[in-house]
Amino acid sequence: MSEKKKRKVLVSGAIAPEFIANSIAKHSSKTTIGAHDIFLGQVRSDVIGGKTVQAIDYTAYEEMAEEKFHEIREATFAKFSLSCMHVYHSLGAVKAGEISLFVFVSSTHRADAFDACRFVVEEIKANVPIWGKEIFEDATHSWKVNTN
Amino acid sequence: MSITIKIFGQLAEIVGSNEWHVQDASDTNFIKERLISDFPKLKNFPFVIVVNKKFVNQNQKIQTGDVVALLPPFAGG
Repeated sequence: MSEKKKRKVLVSGAIAPEFIANSIAKHSSKTTIGAHDIFLGQVRSDVIGGKTVQAIDYTAYEEMAEEKFHEIREATFAKFSLSCMHVYHSLGAVKAGEISLFVFVSSTHRADAFDACRFVVEEIKANVPIWGKEIFEDATHSWKVNTN
Repeated sequence: MSITIKIFGQLAEIVGSNEWHVQDASDTNFIKERLISDFPKLKNFPFVIVVNKKFVNQNQKIQTGDVVALLPPFAGG
């Protein structure tokens, strides 16, 4: 099966460390790979206006987001020499300290993996219609704003 | 033509719904003007308009069957 087939990126809830470990383990049979690079986005317990973020509730324009993820995937394979790439982003509530974004790229040598990983993360932040509602301990909320 | 517009994130919270119905929606400029006239709080709120999941950079005519959505600034990751 082609590594470039269309996949579903959006998943319900936090991305478990065990899932990430299993993803790494699955690559042990791919012995042309010499470099993996992984980016994990973790929910921070930011303090905003004196209140502490407990979780982020993610929503998305799902049909458009999946299309954008696919475009980013195609652009990344066109721009870098990669063996494979896997991206998962959470929907729904993800608690502080849990993982909401998992980007995993693999290549023969390190330069492509490093550069592609950064490219994918920046493209997701800029172009994928996803929003995060930061939930505080008193059940009030604010809306997440992405920074550099 | 009456169309139903999808609304997301903080915009949906301000509008009070994930959908907003607009009568006589001829083009995207009309939709933006109606939005601000119906919800004056959105006058200085940043958002983008997408038609059939594509970003609209200049005024675009709305055709029957078009899917229109209003998106606040993205915050993925």
